[in-house]
Amino acid sequence: MSTPPLLELHDVTVAYHGRPVLWHVDLAVESPCLYGIIGPNGAGKSTLVKAALGIVPLADGWVKFFGEPLDRVRGRVGYVPQRESVDWDFPVRAIDVVLMGTYHRLGWMRRVGRAERELAAACLDRVGMADFATRQIGRLSGGQQQRVFLARALAQQAEIYFLDEPLAGVDAQSQQQIFRVLSELRDEGKLVLIVHHDLRTAASWFDRVALVDMRLVAAGPTEEVLSRENLARTYSGHLEVLDELGRAVEAGRRTP
Amino acid sequence: MTMLTAVADLLGLSSNTLLVAVAMAAVGMAAGVVGCFSVLRRRALIGDAAAHATLPGVALAFVITGSRGLPVLLIGAVVSAVASMGLLVLLRRFTRTRDDAATAIVIGVSFGMGVALISGLVARGVPGSGGLERFLLGSTASLSAADARLLVIVSLLSTGLVAAFVKEATVVSFDPGFAAAAGWPVWWIDFALVAMTAVMVVAGLPAAGAVLVTALVVIPPVAARQWTDRVGVMLVLAGAFGLVSAVAGVAASAVVPGLATGPMVVLAAAALFAVSLVCAPSRGLLAMALRPRMPLAPPERGGP
Repeated sequence: MSTPPLLELHDVTVAYHGRPVLWHVDLAVESPCLYGIIGPNGAGKSTLVKAALGIVPLADGWVKFFGEPLDRVRGRVGYVPQRESVDWDFPVRAIDVVLMGTYHRLGWMRRVGRAERELAAACLDRVGMADFATRQIGRLSGGQQQRVFLARALAQQAEIYFLDEPLAGVDAQSQQQIFRVLSELRDEGKLVLIVHHDLRTAASWFDRVALVDMRLVAAGPTEEVLSRENLARTYSGHLEVLDELGRAVEAGRRTP
Repeated sequence: MTMLTAVADLLGLSSNTLLVAVAMAAVGMAAGVVGCFSVLRRRALIGDAAAHATLPGVALAFVITGSRGLPVLLIGAVVSAVASMGLLVLLRRFTRTRDDAATAIVIGVSFGMGVALISGLVARGVPGSGGLERFLLGSTASLSAADARLLVIVSLLSTGLVAAFVKEATVVSFDPGFAAAAGWPVWWIDFALVAMTAVMVVAGLPAAGAVLVTALVVIPPVAARQWTDRVGVMLVLAGAFGLVSAVAGVAASAVVPGLATGPMVVLAAAALFAVSLVCAPSRGLLAMALRPRMPLAPPERGGP
């Protein structure tokens, strides 16, 4: 028997208030890599991730991780939500946010102990945020907040990571640091799926990509998928930006 | 109870008065602790809806059972508070009414029903109905020792529950999406937090009254938030602020005859809130005015 894919989506359909926003997505990822999920605004990229993680209900289809339903392997799947999704005035410090990554393994009612604190500190250090451990999260820059979110996902010690727009509105230093950690994860044999909107960087960063526009347009190795034709189909409602995108992709290929 | 009697003698109070004061202290503390998550989850007004919705329940419990006993009336209050929460959920789910409008409607309608029922009973001279009016503005005068014990037990249970599940409540309140992905039952934890808020609103009802009891759930947590950036510290401070406000309110209305307890409790909490707003170390108005204006971080595109 062959090993099941790390991640498999079959006929995934999602509807909000009876209106479908994602249609019949079939996708299988066999091996560890940096996987970009790319498409225009409102294409359902975040919804696809949320559907895979069981945060929004599926109208149809199923999702499997390591050949099993998510509920049996939650501890092996990590998640970095969009930065806009939380209240940054919440009374937690950077280290407290990272500790949340250990809660699942702790389980109900058990308190954070020394092992969790050490793990959280190490994860903060890995994203270059050790000096900010006791800073209230609202008093960090956007890039620093994103790195804290990444550290929390690292503390989950998962094998598959989902990141929703981890590089949006992030300063260059943070962007570099985040990308370095994600590459390391890939090299350690983890699958890293990244929702991303910037085509210029997509071509050079990702090993594989999926183009999404309310349905799956194309998926596979970056070189093959990011063709002019596929992009035209994905961004068909956005004709005015097509030429610009095409040039950007070409430029991205020349400077990997 | 011998120790209680001894302490009461020392303070020159009846042991019943002291027991009631202890009960109010416990209610104030628990309301402050439970209220933290309702404030952090931005649901302060839901407690207000629950509070106003207790009135029809109190009146109906009286009509149905003919009893003026606190436990019976409070059970009625819990039932109608929960029913109002259900109504709120239904309004949002099946109509296009917005959150704030739906909350305002539930507050107005349930309070109107409550006042109509109670004033109707009083106008008809139904024996015992006069006692119901104390649920409007709060009065601890008629609480028995047994009532006080019940309130202490409910308060300690609520506080204990929050203490046991701080971790779960925090992750769900801060980042529900992450919590859901990590496998926490977000809906159930949220439901438990709202239900506990409703229970504490009902427990505070005899002392503060339906109109003002939300203040017990909202003001101490907001004041506590000023002083700290940690949930654990905020919970402890909110409990302490709630306890102090409740005791101060009860004491003031005991000293000045005819003064309703509810307004005194709220004013005491408001005083603590004002001090917190001005004097808190990093978020206080004074600290902000004295701090040199400096950008916290380099400006970025799309920053918060």
